[in-house]
Amino acid sequence: MLDRMITHSAFLELVDELAGKRRIIGPVARGERFFYEEVERAGALDLAFNYCVYGPRAFLFPPTETLFTFQQIEGRFAAEAVVEDRPTALVGVHPCDINAIRLLDRVFEKDHPDEHYLSRRRNTLIIGLDCPRPCTDGIFCSDMKTNEATEGFDVMLFPLGAVQEVGASGKGGGGDPQAGPSVRADEPPAAPSQYGVVFGTPTGREWLLYSHKSTVPTAADERALEQYHRSKAAAFRRAIKTPSEDLPALLDRSYDSLLWEATARRCYSCGSCNLSCPTCYCFNIYDELDMTLAAGERKREWDGCQLPKFAEVAGPHNFRAKAASRLRHRIYRKAKWVREQTDLPGCVGCARCDRACTAKISSVEIYNQLAEEA
Amino acid sequence: MSKPKIAIFSLTSCEGCSLAILELEDQLLDILGAVDIVNFREGMTERSWDIDIGFVDGAVSTPTDIEEVEHFRQSSKMLVAIGACACTGGINTLKNYQDETDCRRYVYGEKFEWFPTIPAQPLSNFVKVDAELPGCPMVKEEFLEFVKCALAGKQFRLPENAVCVECKKKDNLCLYEKGIICLGPVTRAGCAAICPSYGSKCEGCRGLVSDEALAAAGVNLREQYDVALEDVLADFRLFGAYQGSELP
Repeated sequence: MLDRMITHSAFLELVDELAGKRRIIGPVARGERFFYEEVERAGALDLAFNYCVYGPRAFLFPPTETLFTFQQIEGRFAAEAVVEDRPTALVGVHPCDINAIRLLDRVFEKDHPDEHYLSRRRNTLIIGLDCPRPCTDGIFCSDMKTNEATEGFDVMLFPLGAVQEVGASGKGGGGDPQAGPSVRADEPPAAPSQYGVVFGTPTGREWLLYSHKSTVPTAADERALEQYHRSKAAAFRRAIKTPSEDLPALLDRSYDSLLWEATARRCYSCGSCNLSCPTCYCFNIYDELDMTLAAGERKREWDGCQLPKFAEVAGPHNFRAKAASRLRHRIYRKAKWVREQTDLPGCVGCARCDRACTAKISSVEIYNQLAEEA
Repeated sequence: MSKPKIAIFSLTSCEGCSLAILELEDQLLDILGAVDIVNFREGMTERSWDIDIGFVDGAVSTPTDIEEVEHFRQSSKMLVAIGACACTGGINTLKNYQDETDCRRYVYGEKFEWFPTIPAQPLSNFVKVDAELPGCPMVKEEFLEFVKCALAGKQFRLPENAVCVECKKKDNLCLYEKGIICLGPVTRAGCAAICPSYGSKCEGCRGLVSDEALAAAGVNLREQYDVALEDVLADFRLFGAYQGSELP
């Protein structure tokens, strides 16, 4: 069910008005690829993007951040927390990344609520943009059931205009949805003429309704949405032979597989998979002193379980010293352990890990090879 | 506690790493407040040989270099190699793959026989080195961090991750996605991925991050990438990151 309809140009006007109140982050073309970047104006956004090289994670959980500053004043220790609360809007977030943010929300609010993350998150408006077709080759979001988002956004846009144009233009995002992955950033699809809007939160509803730029959906719009969903379901095909709900059991049987060693001999342990993953949330904490040595900052930075010293503890003892045990750990986290801990998918199938892998290791191939062995 | 006495020495090199210390302009006065620099050819004329921390840039590539580095070692409680030349031999090691006499004639002209040389090597081949600050040039912020750690009595640790980590943190598009074989996955981080950030492949000036990464490079170069092995070996040799005749 649609809540409202809005044209592409009216939506951009709304975002321009929003830019006075929030920093706007959205997809921007850089060379042949798209990246989430801060923009001054809505016109700088490329909402017809295929995928962004990295998810918008860095705007909620930055690569490096200061947790608190500290100093010694007359021999006494004093610390002051640093918490960011800058109003922000993430515009044009695909369902995979919305599902990833849901997981980050769950992780950072449970057990020890992380005010650094939660403060940014509370001040972030998320405007989702649904995907009518696969954004590129190699993705497996439909396997993970994360090519749709039911919550985690303030507003979700369905590019209904684009679907009606499918087959009409025959170029870029148009054409046969089965040929979907041919979309490239250097040949961007036409921007959809209008969006069907679904509200996710009262904040999203309030934002979209205050300016009267949207209209009430008609019966024809609802039919267009149904057609959109049918077309979308046909366009996404499964890549992993095992259904995602059976992956934990598959992994249970695969702990001692020879695959881990055989695949990991190619692994550099460079951590590119972790650091490009929208659901990875591990970090390392360290102190930075200034030259007085009496004051400084406690900081945290992204860490990753594939990095060689990730599991090194005092001793020093490294309980995952080998690349094979680290690779197995990552795959277990993504398809089994995180789901068991949070009840949410630990992997959203965006395939950024596979694309980022400098050794061309494919998680899809790992799952499928394990299924063949089992 | 009296201020630690610091010396900065140069062997075969461009002395760019010594200069990098002078380029720490915003922090230089703070550093001079915290330490006494007692011997620094690039920066002052006074000399003393009572040294707590001796920093050395440059490779050992002449018999004189050997004598000097032994003297530096004897005079310094702690000896630190700074820059690619001192840590891996650096760009000087390119001569190790050429005819020694030809090379010497090219460099020194007709009086080349007056200038004996040896294969360029890192400091650690001759003396005990207490710490290394690699890179071409060394990362001046890393030097600053080392000095702070020394003053605070804190253990200094080089980054033990690959350059890829820093590319990801900087939102860079991986050069492998463009089909370029970059040495980032095998090279020690700490440079803020400066070369890939400007579109150039990493050339490994900070040395190998681990033997395991090098072994993975051997496997991938033979099995995964469509690239001439010699070209990649040449990249490895540029800064002396790896000087073997073939990959493991």
